[in-house]
Amino acid sequence: MRSETGFDPALYDRFPTNEERPPEELKQLEAIWCKPRGWQLLTAVNNNYVGFFYVAAAFLFFLLVGVLALVMRVQLTLPLQGVLPQETYNQFFTMHGTVMMFLFAVPMVEAIGVLLLPQMLAARDLPFPRLSAYAFWAYFVGGLCFFASLFFGLAPDGGWFMYPPYTGMAYSPGINADFWLLGIGFIEISAIAGAIEIIVGVLRTRAPGMTLERMPVYAWAMLVFGVMIVIAFPSVILGTLLLELERAFNWPFFDPTRGGDALLWQHLFWFFGHPEVYIIFLPASGLVSMMVATLARTRLVGHALIVLAFLATGFISFGVWAHHMFTTGMPNLSVGFFSAASMAVSVPAGIQVFSWIATLAIGRPRFNAPTLFLLGGLVTFVIGGLTGVMVAMVPFDWQAHDSYFIVAHLHYVLIGGMVFPMFAGFYYWTPMTSSRPLSERLGKWSFWLTFTGMQLTFMPMHLTGLMGMPRRVYTYLPGREWEVTNVVSTLGAFAMGAGVLVFLIDLARNFRFTTDDDAGNVYGGGTLEWLPTGLYSTRSIPVVKSLEPLWDDPELAENVEAGRYFLPGSATGLRETIVTSPLRAEPQYLQIMPGPSVWPFLAAVMTAGFFILMTIHAYYPSFACGIFAIICVLRWLWDTDRPVGQEVVDVGAGIRLPTYVTGPGSHGWWAMVILLVVIGMIFVMGVFSFLYLYGVQPRFWTKPADLGGLALILPAYGAAGGLALWSRHMLAREATQLWTPGVLFLCGALALAVGIGADIWSWNRSGLSPSASGQGASVYALLSLEAALAFIGLLMAGYLSARNSRGMIVRPRNNSLDLCVLFVAYAAGQGALTAILTRVVGG
Amino acid sequence: MWRLSFMQEGNSELPEKSIVPVFDPAGPYAGSITILSWILITMACGVLLIVLAALWVALFGGERIRKKLGGAKAVWIGGIGFPVVVLTVLLVYGLSLTRNLTEPVPRTAMRVRITGEMWWWRVAYLDGQGRPAMIDANELHIPAGQPVLLELESNDVVHSFWVPRLSGKLDMVPGRRNILPIQADTPGVFAGQCAEYCGGPHALMGFVVIAHEPAEFALLMAGRRTKRPAGSAEGAALFRSTGCAACHRIAGTDANGMAGPDLTYAGSRRSLGAGILPNNRGTMMGWIGDSQSIKPGNRMPPYKMLSAAQLQTLTDYVRAQK
Amino acid sequence: MRSWLMLLSGFILWTIHFFALYIAASAFPGQPPSYWLTGLITILCLAGVAFAVMRAKRGDGASGMDRWVRTVALCGLGLSGIAIIWQGLPALIV
Repeated sequence: MRSETGFDPALYDRFPTNEERPPEELKQLEAIWCKPRGWQLLTAVNNNYVGFFYVAAAFLFFLLVGVLALVMRVQLTLPLQGVLPQETYNQFFTMHGTVMMFLFAVPMVEAIGVLLLPQMLAARDLPFPRLSAYAFWAYFVGGLCFFASLFFGLAPDGGWFMYPPYTGMAYSPGINADFWLLGIGFIEISAIAGAIEIIVGVLRTRAPGMTLERMPVYAWAMLVFGVMIVIAFPSVILGTLLLELERAFNWPFFDPTRGGDALLWQHLFWFFGHPEVYIIFLPASGLVSMMVATLARTRLVGHALIVLAFLATGFISFGVWAHHMFTTGMPNLSVGFFSAASMAVSVPAGIQVFSWIATLAIGRPRFNAPTLFLLGGLVTFVIGGLTGVMVAMVPFDWQAHDSYFIVAHLHYVLIGGMVFPMFAGFYYWTPMTSSRPLSERLGKWSFWLTFTGMQLTFMPMHLTGLMGMPRRVYTYLPGREWEVTNVVSTLGAFAMGAGVLVFLIDLARNFRFTTDDDAGNVYGGGTLEWLPTGLYSTRSIPVVKSLEPLWDDPELAENVEAGRYFLPGSATGLRETIVTSPLRAEPQYLQIMPGPSVWPFLAAVMTAGFFILMTIHAYYPSFACGIFAIICVLRWLWDTDRPVGQEVVDVGAGIRLPTYVTGPGSHGWWAMVILLVVIGMIFVMGVFSFLYLYGVQPRFWTKPADLGGLALILPAYGAAGGLALWSRHMLAREATQLWTPGVLFLCGALALAVGIGADIWSWNRSGLSPSASGQGASVYALLSLEAALAFIGLLMAGYLSARNSRGMIVRPRNNSLDLCVLFVAYAAGQGALTAILTRVVGG
Repeated sequence: MWRLSFMQEGNSELPEKSIVPVFDPAGPYAGSITILSWILITMACGVLLIVLAALWVALFGGERIRKKLGGAKAVWIGGIGFPVVVLTVLLVYGLSLTRNLTEPVPRTAMRVRITGEMWWWRVAYLDGQGRPAMIDANELHIPAGQPVLLELESNDVVHSFWVPRLSGKLDMVPGRRNILPIQADTPGVFAGQCAEYCGGPHALMGFVVIAHEPAEFALLMAGRRTKRPAGSAEGAALFRSTGCAACHRIAGTDANGMAGPDLTYAGSRRSLGAGILPNNRGTMMGWIGDSQSIKPGNRMPPYKMLSAAQLQTLTDYVRAQK
Repeated sequence: MRSWLMLLSGFILWTIHFFALYIAASAFPGQPPSYWLTGLITILCLAGVAFAVMRAKRGDGASGMDRWVRTVALCGLGLSGIAIIWQGLPALIV
């Protein structure tokens, strides 16, 4: 057996241990992971609470915009109805799409991940609990404000896709569009925070022995999900940034008369927008793959193939974005690539469907509520997938695109692929967080109502579309025979609504949130989340030897509960979890985790305040919120990264692990690298926009570049990177003065500021104005990105100096300094690339 | 809304008599897509039946057949082999169809520039040099049996041109020009509608294509080319004094506004308000008097201050433009 | 790192192929170079897939996980190969 980290796998044989555990150990564990009470709920960071809040909030948004959908269906039942005036209808459908995608679907799958993953991996918590709390509160507060815009008639009305020029200042002068751009902008930040958490969690906090091969399918799904968010979301973040810059400062990114292009937005949006569908579908598919095995009472057929399907989807879904643009008049060859990739991406879906069917075939499924939802989801998803293949055929898409055929297709995919699995998951996992399971009887009612309703609503829409009814219309004229199918759709929608109502009744009657006396393993699942748990997750962290440890080792639950595995108590008296290696999950070190804190909550409220106040043009309060948000974040970080007295501790059976690790092996380093990938992707999409506008409208590229400026800019960036790296080097030297590393880092951050300052000055001197042309807009956009990085670099310098002055930058290595150095070194690189690229292309 | 509803009386001559236009093509560009549609629908139904059958067997089948379905082999055949074969065939067919549908049309084909506006269509028939020779709005006349090239543009936001019985849709993107060939094999009237959300009354942005026998088409165009100013002098004066001329053009008069639809042939149009109303005296009076209550948000202000007599004069004047 | 690289080799090749094609088609929209570049890139990437398959087959079967990674990698290479061929088709057909 090979080892990844030098850990000897033979040590796993020491478990389960035999000796009696000291009785006070469990009490201490419970005290450390104690329940928050009353107002303390706001400070809770434990995944059992945050995950639950998160799921509940996402479901709330689902209900809210579900109601909007019902009202819209009433309006469309017959031609020329007056239920909703035109402008309200346009706001309704925009909010329905936007909220379903950004405030329900993505947060919901992320929320389920936060709730389930630590249990499934037998980690005490996710690696960055405060980040989860921040992500949740920012999303919840911001989401509510965003939704409330509807009550003031200020909701966006440009569609969830927000195509300019309609959403530009000329055609949407109100602040409605800004609500979308700023509101969604920071909900994306929250999604990315969650994704970083989930990636690091899956790769680094798995139970010892849980190699890639033994990782639950759901964890694989969430890993691919996280990576996809990190790659896809930056594109829409950049897009919203550019559109907001165009609206606020008149920088012409999308204005063809000044060197912009309306299609640039469509590329940026769909590069995010299509992967988004799989970002929603993959986690749900992971849930289905977990449930189908348990419900059929057998092992999943084709586990490796399903993992393959997830990986394939993760990659190929990034090559299909332009199939939303088949009707924009792209060259045939490009259209062909996207059509081919759209075909290719349906193969992994086929693998998943047939694996589930095969699993059902060898098993003995019982027809209980989760199984029904699961089967309903499967059938619905297959229909959506088949119409997906149809619209991947370019000529057919020319007819079907933007008609009700697409409305039918996307609802089949999303409801079959995500909503039904979610309900199945609710029934299946409720016994894990509730003291009572949900009712089978009500569950079946709910299923049959939602399922029939769904088919009634959306099946006729295929025909409505082929009959010529376009999407996003607030009404239609009589005489086209569209009435019949529309009436059926409306009836179906209400049946679906009734099904959801039955589910709510079930929730009200049976759901009782709990963290310790849950209803337990009702369906007989075989994965670790069904071990007995408290707020600390499992009492001890088991060694994993197979995919379904509970099925293969009937004594596992008892041994885990008796503390016969890793970390039976707290080794340091603090919240902690074992960090393991990414491939073979060999124990590497003990991570000390931060406890409850009010600062993530305050930071989130202030961040939401910053964006919302900005939208309603209350600039001073907005900036005050922004500054306070930064202070809150720094304050929350202040408690972290503090080594404890015991450098090495016994984590059970005499296995000793360090408590403080720095460098590329630490979880913080991984998170920073992922964050830099996010920032890098924003930069890449910025460069894409720059090259794209140059390619489309080169005649607006008139200002020559000031090549001489590079003589100042490049050395400045070089100095920034060099000084930052030097500060890390000096920290390790015995003879260094106390203040040296901090001052060196500060000089590095200042050099960064000098670099970007010189770059802006140089372009300004050559007479390039951001509002003048596509060249100006895209060059200054890249410069703005770099300026933002320089600003953060300076903040970091201040923070490090403060920590240093309190003696909190420990030697010879310190995580806080390491991560800041990584950041500044990266920023220097991006700055140098920006300076060169903007001068070489089109200068 | 009720007003638009009320005014639909007599609209039966307007829309086509085709219930599912995608299945009822009127020319070759839509026709080959109809064949593709039927092939795709058959494929989708067939695959769905196979999956449902497999699912049925998995849940209720006999022990032996379920064993067979329950292996990794079934996943390889059903999940990989089968889709790859079906998709390869479809892809090759779809790609060759894409090529056929976008093959260049002879340079001699008639060209018309259609510009999307919020929320109507500017139509310009082009001469051999590609210059606008005749301006119209919301209605396109074409000769049957020959291809016509449409140059699709937009002056404001993204629109999409869709006449399902004649061809698939193509977007109108500001700053770009897309070329769409259409052809109607026999004379007829074909309804179209904007398919890309363009704000406000996007739902009420319709369009009509009328295909004529070539000889009849030539006659129609010749008649239009020789059009003289028509209508009463009183009406013309009112058209100027109420400000209509600021936005609307009537060729041969000094009314040359370009912001709204050209009214040179307004009296001969089959529809009003961009394909949403039948064009008769009553509807036009209603439209001029208060178009906002019919198509809320459109760019034409209401003219409620006109007296009934004035409204009649003005209506008759516009209706005389044929 | 080597395990990840092997696991994802097929999809990495697919990604290189797809974006190379996209760049070629965007640089020469509707012109002949985009067609023969597509053919060339496709052949190169298929050669890459063949090479990766050979390497994956040769690997040592030290542990269960290594074997598992190799199996998934080989399936991924097969799938990517098909997707790459599909993406090359437009150069021949449209």
